[in-house]
Amino acid sequence: MQEKVNEVAVTRSERVWYQTVGSKVWYFFNSLTLTIFVLMTLAGSSIFGTVIEQNQQASQYFAAYGEKWTRVILYTGLNDMYHSWWFAALLGVLTMNIIVCTFERFPPKWKGLLANKSPEKFEPRIIDKCSYHQTLNCPGDVKEVRERVLAAFKKKRFKVSSSSREGGHYFYARKGVIGRFGSDVVHISLLLILLGAMVGSYYGYKDFRIVYVGTNMTVPETDFEVRLDKFWIDYYDTGQIRQYNSLLTVIEGEEEVLTKQIWVNEPLFYKGIRFYQSSFGNAWDRINSANMVLVSKKTRMAEGSEFTVGWNEVKQIPGSRYSIRLAGYTADFAYDERNNTVFSQTAEANNPAISVEVYEGERLVSTPWLFLKYPGIFPAIPDSEYDLVFTDYRGILYSGISLNKDPGTNIVWLGTGVMGLGFILAFFVFHRRVWVYVRENGGSTEVKLGGLTNKNNFVLEKDIKEIVENINAG
Amino acid sequence: MILSLVFFSFSFAFYILTALLYLGNWVFQKKWLGQLATSMAVVALFSTTMILIMRAGESGHAPFSNLYESMVLFVWATNLGYLMMEYKYKFKTAGAFVMSFEFLAMLSATMLPYRYKSVEPLNPALQNKWHWMVDLFSRFGLEKYAIGWLDFHVFTTFIGYAAFAISFGLAIMFLLKNRYETRGRNNALIGSLPEARMIDELSYRAIAWGFPFLAVGIVTGAIWANSAWGAYWTWDPKETWSLITWFIYAAYLHARVTRGWRGRKAAYLSIAGFLAVIFLYWGVSFVLPGLHAYA
Ligand code: HEM
Repeated sequence: MQEKVNEVAVTRSERVWYQTVGSKVWYFFNSLTLTIFVLMTLAGSSIFGTVIEQNQQASQYFAAYGEKWTRVILYTGLNDMYHSWWFAALLGVLTMNIIVCTFERFPPKWKGLLANKSPEKFEPRIIDKCSYHQTLNCPGDVKEVRERVLAAFKKKRFKVSSSSREGGHYFYARKGVIGRFGSDVVHISLLLILLGAMVGSYYGYKDFRIVYVGTNMTVPETDFEVRLDKFWIDYYDTGQIRQYNSLLTVIEGEEEVLTKQIWVNEPLFYKGIRFYQSSFGNAWDRINSANMVLVSKKTRMAEGSEFTVGWNEVKQIPGSRYSIRLAGYTADFAYDERNNTVFSQTAEANNPAISVEVYEGERLVSTPWLFLKYPGIFPAIPDSEYDLVFTDYRGILYSGISLNKDPGTNIVWLGTGVMGLGFILAFFVFHRRVWVYVRENGGSTEVKLGGLTNKNNFVLEKDIKEIVENINAG
Repeated sequence: MILSLVFFSFSFAFYILTALLYLGNWVFQKKWLGQLATSMAVVALFSTTMILIMRAGESGHAPFSNLYESMVLFVWATNLGYLMMEYKYKFKTAGAFVMSFEFLAMLSATMLPYRYKSVEPLNPALQNKWHWMVDLFSRFGLEKYAIGWLDFHVFTTFIGYAAFAISFGLAIMFLLKNRYETRGRNNALIGSLPEARMIDELSYRAIAWGFPFLAVGIVTGAIWANSAWGAYWTWDPKETWSLITWFIYAAYLHARVTRGWRGRKAAYLSIAGFLAVIFLYWGVSFVLPGLHAYA
């Protein structure tokens, strides 16, 4: 570290300003204090987004927090904080931090770990500096003990290299060096996940469609359409809803390519796009059929029985000279006086009304609106002794389908897989190194061993204990 | 007769006994007490397993669908984790802490209001079992024991919680012990705890288990959300809190590996992490709005 500082000092004067800035930025990102700071800041700031409800209308914040704080919330983007510039910036700092630290640390680590193999290089005294060390006196001559030491390490699956000089034998045994790279694998996997999230937000989209049975929905950026064949609801015996289902058919050109039943949790996936069952409801602008009855204007008594007319169907009213066509429906009738149009105030069936065309023979005699809740409020057929009453209807369900294209998803899954591998390496493969020195010591043989591990001293101690037992047992 | 309730009552008694035995072992330092305590913990584990199995049989889905069931799962995972640790590292004083904690968790599960306990059919968003598993199990008439991503998600998350709970218990033990060690005081009870350095290491090891399991929990949650809500990440409060918790433990790991934060500072971070876990588990469900039912 000290050398590095000197190096920087020496070269500083020869640097152009942007090199100086560049190296300052580099050293800013090459900091683990920064890492801890960023992680804690991400954790701390994320709390805001879970307390302040996200993506609400400004008026709702106003009601909950008052004017001053609403302004603060909107100004800082706390109403959609996970997509705000400063949250993105924090993730950016995290990314740079990972990249720079990996660049700085990985190559020396790699070299250091691979190079440090030779048993020629160590002095017996480094053994005493190890966190775990021990000296044994074994009966038997050096040669024999040497073999026992080798066998004991082999049995615990250590890799051993050895050399002999000046009457002593030196061993360097190690195991699990790959575990040292676990943290790098985890960091790379994080970069992959962030990359996948970015790809998804740039090249993907989300959309929502309301689809009626028998109709097609178009799909953006593709050459196919999807038709809803059927929508239905399954119930438990108790009457609780069990599942919403839609039967979808993919149509390419004229051809039906595939049909699949989807339900909540079971989307259709076709050419990179997912189709989810996300809601359902009653149509507000159409129905399946309506029931009506002809009544006498004078007595308000039914003339003949109730009859059913299908959507868009023309029907002769039984026992009369009129026929009728069911031409329109609106769930919550409202009238716009400015341009004389009828519209549905809400999607709920608060004031269901149908529009019909009444024919006498071939002649169109009237086009009234009939109201389920207000029968007879306007006469349906002028200049006639009869009136029409709207008594009932069968609605149409629509299926609400979400479309989602996210080409980054697979990168994210790849990242999570890599992360799993990294965790196994980082947390469950321990790098253990043991140095051993064996020499003749007045008739018996002295064995000194000392070990180091990057983590989990227990495992190392246990290993050494077993190895010592094996050496002693011969 | 609802068998899961019978097993629950038994387990409750077993946890009281187990906790008492571990406490007795700690106070009196008798070998036979220790052995008895461990056997009792195994019996309690078996009994807790049976609650979960019976519950699955009664409801027809994996027993992780409400707060009560998740508490039982939490108790189960903590017990299993503790026993594994005891087996590996051979020290029993932590049992007194962990099992008392288990007893408290069981107690709070019994005190939950009924609506958090009843066996409910699953709402549409919670159903998806792995087809291959349903097919395989239905050959033996066991299809109701098949599981899906959601169950796997809850399961791994709770293993994580359990590991964090153990680490939390050890962090408290550490602080106790460390206080006595640094002040050079002596006390028979505290004296029989392992060295502070060792407790600290174990607390770290527990996090080294919890951290990847929580990660797997988050990822399987994302896989499930991807098919249920249409996106793998929606910043739902529960998701966000799991990430917050995960970041706190990530900070713990980095501080430990690279800045040498061991001992006291590490213990405080572990405690902070576990407070986040508690909020993630209980707080989010009761305090914050969101899509997650409970877990
Ligand atoms: C912000 C940028 C980050 C930097 C610069 C960074 C840097 C480091 C460094 C230098 C190590 C020690 C390496 C070693 O001992 O071999 C490490 C370990 C690790 N990092 Fe990071 N890290 C970052 C973010 C993260 C994040 C966000 C996570 C996951 C949430 C993570 C997960 C890990 C894990 C699991 C380890 C291994 C810890 C252990 O061995 O106990 N890192 N990191």
